[in-house]
Amino acid sequence: MNKTAIIYSFNTQKSKKISEKVIDAFGGSKVDSINAEEVDKKVIEKYDQFIFSVPTWFDGELPNYWDEFIPDLEEIDLKGKKFALFGLGDQKNYPENFCDAIGIMAEIIEGLGGELVGQTSAEGYKFESSRALRGDSFVGLPLDQENQARLTNERVKRWVDQLKKEF
Amino acid sequence: MKQELKIPKEYSIKKTSKETLEKWYWLMSIGRAIDEKAPNYLKQAIGWSYHAPYAGHDGIQLAVGQVFEKNKDHMFLYYRDMLTALSCGITPYEIILNGISKATDPSSGGRHMSNHFAKPEFNIHSVSSLTGNHTLHAVGVARAIKFYGDKAVAISNQGESSVSEGFVYEAFNGADKEQLPVIFVIQDNGYGISVPKKDQTAQRKVANNFSGFKNLRIIHCNGKDVFDSMNAMTEAKKYAIEESKPVIVQANCVRIHSHSNSDDHLLYRSEAERNYVEDYDPLAKFRRMLLRYERFTEEELTKIEEDVKKELKKIHKEALSAPDPTPESISDYVLPEPYVSSKYPEGLHEGQGDKKKLITALNETLKTEFRENPDTFIWGQDMANKDKGGIFNVSKGMQKEFGPGRVFNAPIAEDFIVGTANGMSRYNEKIRIVIEGAEFADYFWPAMEQYIEASHDYWRSNGKFSPNMTIRLASGGYIGGGLYHSQTIEGSLVSIPGVRIVYPSFADDAAGLLRTAIRSKGVTMFMEPKALYQSPKAATIVPDDFEVPFGKGRIRREGSDMTIITYGNATHLSLDAAEMLEKDGFSVEVLDLRSLIPLDTELIYKSVNKTNKVLIAHEDKLFGGFGGEISAIISEKLFEFLDGPVRRVGSAFTPVGFNPILERAILPDKERIYKIAKELLLY
Repeated sequence: MNKTAIIYSFNTQKSKKISEKVIDAFGGSKVDSINAEEVDKKVIEKYDQFIFSVPTWFDGELPNYWDEFIPDLEEIDLKGKKFALFGLGDQKNYPENFCDAIGIMAEIIEGLGGELVGQTSAEGYKFESSRALRGDSFVGLPLDQENQARLTNERVKRWVDQLKKEF
Repeated sequence: MKQELKIPKEYSIKKTSKETLEKWYWLMSIGRAIDEKAPNYLKQAIGWSYHAPYAGHDGIQLAVGQVFEKNKDHMFLYYRDMLTALSCGITPYEIILNGISKATDPSSGGRHMSNHFAKPEFNIHSVSSLTGNHTLHAVGVARAIKFYGDKAVAISNQGESSVSEGFVYEAFNGADKEQLPVIFVIQDNGYGISVPKKDQTAQRKVANNFSGFKNLRIIHCNGKDVFDSMNAMTEAKKYAIEESKPVIVQANCVRIHSHSNSDDHLLYRSEAERNYVEDYDPLAKFRRMLLRYERFTEEELTKIEEDVKKELKKIHKEALSAPDPTPESISDYVLPEPYVSSKYPEGLHEGQGDKKKLITALNETLKTEFRENPDTFIWGQDMANKDKGGIFNVSKGMQKEFGPGRVFNAPIAEDFIVGTANGMSRYNEKIRIVIEGAEFADYFWPAMEQYIEASHDYWRSNGKFSPNMTIRLASGGYIGGGLYHSQTIEGSLVSIPGVRIVYPSFADDAAGLLRTAIRSKGVTMFMEPKALYQSPKAATIVPDDFEVPFGKGRIRREGSDMTIITYGNATHLSLDAAEMLEKDGFSVEVLDLRSLIPLDTELIYKSVNKTNKVLIAHEDKLFGGFGGEISAIISEKLFEFLDGPVRRVGSAFTPVGFNPILERAILPDKERIYKIAKELLLY
């Protein structure tokens, strides 16, 4: 078992692909992959460091697989644990809630005492508002496969390098 | 933008009682079962030809119904609100009765379209199909809730596309201005039939378009999630009542199916999109949660689902054998029974005393009625500001005497004026509302959609609800007013059933008809010939308690050679023409209709039977004017009594020009009536 778990939905396509890029950037076997559709309390209790794939659904919501886990998550003391969040969003078609889900998850984690790592600069994005934005930085890594797919690899690489230091 | 306040989490999968969860699951399951079964009724030609499936709105609909307290709160459902209806207390059996248009359907007895759910006995009000139309009704009833000091709320449900409608803006603005306890629930599924949100408005979170309103709180929630929706609605209701302020709850939903059974979403939604929304099926999510958090076992849920199937089978059978409406019933509930005058059954009097002007008669009648009935209200533009009381001061002094709670200015929004009157009327049957529908009849047109609604209500609800209101309109020309201060619009209104239309021409009749209108149930269009407000010709003796029943004409001048049937301004022109004809040796009878709907056909028959010649004179256009209908009735029923063709005088088929030369050329005058009458007399 590794120290770090990456949790994403195995049933998705785009999020799964990006998650695999993150895993690769970490060096493959350095992180344990867990299906978000099956995540439970024990998983969270077991690891110290997490990477969550939290794409934004609809007009700024968590995907149902995360949303359905929240009541359990809310009962865990996350003190001493570190969390890095990334997720897909669409700046052009959903500019009012770009990657809101990252922000929603960040608020929940902070509320439970968890520490967030992997903040990124908002430079290079064009949107109107986002719950993931704090000042000039995002609380995680927003990715936009619809409009900025060619930037994804570089963004992932840079972020994982940063995480390696912050974890 | 205002910061969204935090919503307390009163409900959650872990905290909510098992009993409550079971009730919810049962409601959601039977709702979905009917939602899915409804198209089969159409396929089998049983009915339910209009069905807008709600699947994907399950969370918010359950929640809206759960916070509703019947007979206390007021609910306005829209055509996609089947689960809301069930959650409010309408039974699954009643849903099917509505779907297949049975006589025992509590919404309308089979009169209204399927999927238009209502139960006026519970304060679940009858509604239009017109999207967002009932926002104004919700605001109106919330005005009553506030006035009478109830701790209750009005809830209006609608799709997100409805915010494109101007009257929805009027409703939000009015609720904000008056600080009313009303919740507008915007069930946002991203589409208005096939039109995506981006083609409706620039902002995806459409509620945020209204974030500048000072007293309006906006809450966003996940309409696909039961708990998030319950928490949002609970907070919205608490806030609306405690703060007496309006709330918009925008619930993000998905539309799993097509808009309705006449729409096919395969034509405009990709497979990926359809899969995406189906993945977030709220019912499936709720079921997963119940199992995941071990609140129910698979067996327990299966048992509920089996029970639902059995229940549906049973009520389906029962509903099929329920009675259908009869063809003979079509004329029931077009108009409610009016106030009956025992003292003045014919609307005639032999009063004595000084003459009063028409405007004085109206003002004094309004005041007398408001003194007698504390549940009377009046509003309109220019209604009350110091010495100003109505655009022509008809309501002068009323706010001073009756206070701003009962007599007040309305925003310059005619549809709002009429729609909130309808809404306020829904609070109870005692309320009587008088409105100045517009500054002039010319400006009434924006209110036509609410006029139509008001005309439908009594019939549509199968006699369960009538808006009890009198719409006063300063009407007609002869004041040099031009195109927008001269219109008289009765010709356009008489073909709409469900509204009484009266048009007095003398002070006493104006007072008597107004009194009857205010005391009656139903809608009365009260047209006031504004050129006569101050006219000495229209001034009469007016008994203090005078009453004129609807549908009673009045012979204003007796004669034997010819009858002039007339009303409004044209009554006086006709009387002048009759006077001129008398000098020529002719005896002309002038019949003032006073009411157009209902029409005093008996008096028409009687007079024509006597004189055998008829001329119809009115100010409205000759072409398409009400005279055409009267003429047709006479031709059909009294042909053998006629000694000549039915002749008509009316205005030219043009707008009314501003230059007095044009106005004179367009509007009828006594010389024209005299000329046509003379031709007929010599025929």
